[in-house]
Amino acid sequence: MTTHAEALSAPQAAAGSGQGLLSWVMTVDHKRIGIMYLVTATAFFVAGGLLALLMRTQLAQPNGTVLSNAAYNEIFTMHGTTMIFLAIMPLGAGFGNYFVPLMIGARDMAFPKLNALSYWLYLFGGLFLFSSFLFGGAPDAGWFSYAPLTEKLYSINHGMDYWGLSVLILGTATTIGSINFVVTTIQMRAPGMSFTRMPMFVWMTFVTSVIAIFALPSLTTATLLLLLDRLVGTHFYNVSAGGSALLWQHLFWFFGHPEVYIMILPAMGLISEVIPVFSRKPLFGFMTVVYSGIAIGILGFTVWAHHMFATGMAIGALLFFSANSFIIGVPTGVKIFSWLATMWGGKLTFKTPLLFAIGFVALFTIGGLDGVHMAVLPVDWQITDTYYVVSHIHYVLFGGAIFGLFSAMYYWFPKMSGRRLSETLGKWQFWLMFIGMNLTFFPMHVLGLLGMPRRIYTYADNLGWGIWNLIETVGAYLIALGILFFLINFFRTMASAPTNEPDPWDAFTLEWKASSPPAPYNFAEIPSVRSRRPLWDEKYPDKADWKQAE
Amino acid sequence: MTASTATPARFRPGSTAKVGLLTVIASEVFFFATALSAYFFLRLEHPEWSLPAHTPTGLWAPSLNSLLFLASAVVIWRAERAAAADRPRAAQLALGATLVLGLVFIGGQIFDFSQSGLKPDDATFGGIFLALIGFHAVHVLAGMIYLGITLARARVGDFSAKHHTSITLCAWFWYFVVAVWLVLFGALYLI
Repeated sequence: MTTHAEALSAPQAAAGSGQGLLSWVMTVDHKRIGIMYLVTATAFFVAGGLLALLMRTQLAQPNGTVLSNAAYNEIFTMHGTTMIFLAIMPLGAGFGNYFVPLMIGARDMAFPKLNALSYWLYLFGGLFLFSSFLFGGAPDAGWFSYAPLTEKLYSINHGMDYWGLSVLILGTATTIGSINFVVTTIQMRAPGMSFTRMPMFVWMTFVTSVIAIFALPSLTTATLLLLLDRLVGTHFYNVSAGGSALLWQHLFWFFGHPEVYIMILPAMGLISEVIPVFSRKPLFGFMTVVYSGIAIGILGFTVWAHHMFATGMAIGALLFFSANSFIIGVPTGVKIFSWLATMWGGKLTFKTPLLFAIGFVALFTIGGLDGVHMAVLPVDWQITDTYYVVSHIHYVLFGGAIFGLFSAMYYWFPKMSGRRLSETLGKWQFWLMFIGMNLTFFPMHVLGLLGMPRRIYTYADNLGWGIWNLIETVGAYLIALGILFFLINFFRTMASAPTNEPDPWDAFTLEWKASSPPAPYNFAEIPSVRSRRPLWDEKYPDKADWKQAE
Repeated sequence: MTASTATPARFRPGSTAKVGLLTVIASEVFFFATALSAYFFLRLEHPEWSLPAHTPTGLWAPSLNSLLFLASAVVIWRAERAAAADRPRAAQLALGATLVLGLVFIGGQIFDFSQSGLKPDDATFGGIFLALIGFHAVHVLAGMIYLGITLARARVGDFSAKHHTSITLCAWFWYFVVAVWLVLFGALYLI
């Protein structure tokens, strides 16, 4: 029996388990690729965070002089592009790479070489984008690159060309990765791991991947047309020559809104793993959470023009997109109630992963409700392009996605490294980030209502915006301090001796059945599955889920 | 107890490749759908575009080219059937014929575009026309590279009646590029 497993694992062990730099460059092991994704994405997250600190320093006081207007444009563009394409998406992909095969009881992804290709494309695309700082100027038209600002006439350096090309490279990387997740999930599940028994993180990665496969082509089209405009001389987005600036907005947001769910659904999956384990209960309403994820995925394609309410659309279109934007709040709310109901009556142990997960639920709820405000047409007309919008996206993507990702980092770190991160430092990090996050982004609601537009590089001192901006800057530095605590925690933990506990949290799913860190072949024996909590069944045969079901 | 160390039935390399290619095609369908939406979006703003009068050669050359391209889909279907029926020689001939028809199609596209007098900076119609047939031509070229590799593998005897997934996948991709062309032909020349 074991001979067979060894025979299967032998080639993988040769390719993916050696030591030294070259073994990492050559690896096709999903776990190593996952770690490379996580490390690279964390580095880009820190870089994007430093850009944000520069902006907050500039805006701390009226008439700031830290940055010039041109530098400010480059920095907010690079901050947004970095956080979305180089930090949040690849952090999700990193956890997906590491844990989807383990959670479904497989030995690797369906296409290990393609998996390596998508990582290296991602790294190259990211470095290429950042190299624009060195070679003639970074892109400066904002992360959604509105036409005609991006046309050659208005964006004269090569920054937008860098942006376009790296978006194409990163989009290709994500598409390849998503195809790999979809095929892996369909084809590689262990015996008994039916779709209805798949862990929620696998489910959400699957839905996310399907969304990416259908949403990214629109960005590819938009960007190809943009590059043709800039490099070949076509006029797709040039209104004066018969093109249309709105065409960019439609193509971009048809990708851009599903993109929001590409960033948030993996994090929702992550906390759906953490909350049950630290509440000692199964996830409440499992299939409802699955269906709501699918509903979000589908509805996400029908709300894109709510980013364009101020463009003078026909009334029918306005109402359609407004109504759908309300409706998409319903499946999102369903998930929030499911997490609350899972914790309700559970034996909660407030370890760092659970703190970040609860932080996610609280902050994401605020951000989500902001989103509902903006579905109201007259409200949107009032606050569009103000700091209210900036507040909304940071509550959902920082308070939501990033908190979810840190929850998973603390939860799965023992599996990936054989060591637990320090709880003390973790709790410091959580509270610094939680308080800093609210100090930074809550006052943006007020500034938005006071009419402060987003993306201005400075403001006059008689507008009454100074005090709120100062509070925000203090908050931003608290967040940075929290991230510093994480980095210290990471390096200190990695310097300590591993304990290699296979299952430190007494968890439910298959990744905890493998050793910590897992062998290159993951499982000597492919596990078989009889319920949604296969490891629970194995550890507590008297209370096994499949017995309860009978 | 269903546990076993044997490779589960799901681990079939052939079907994994098929699911993979279908996923690629699904994504590509959305790529062409969004590109076509861009075309119609621009066209709605320009009622003065008169179709299909932009081609001095009229509809004859592009129609003939499209018919030949459609025929190539039938030829590659024959290649797949021949491979399944264990007639490797016939399969190779059909793969080669598909490759030739692909080349003819690309030549025809270049001819048609050079005859049309359209330019990329031609108040967006030339641009979007060139972009659409260009995006499509790149996919045809990719299909031809795939065909070439598959043909080379067929010649060295890589396939059998049971194991010829690559030929099947090649055919699927080719059906896809032909189907996309039929839609583009309708949009650019007929309606």
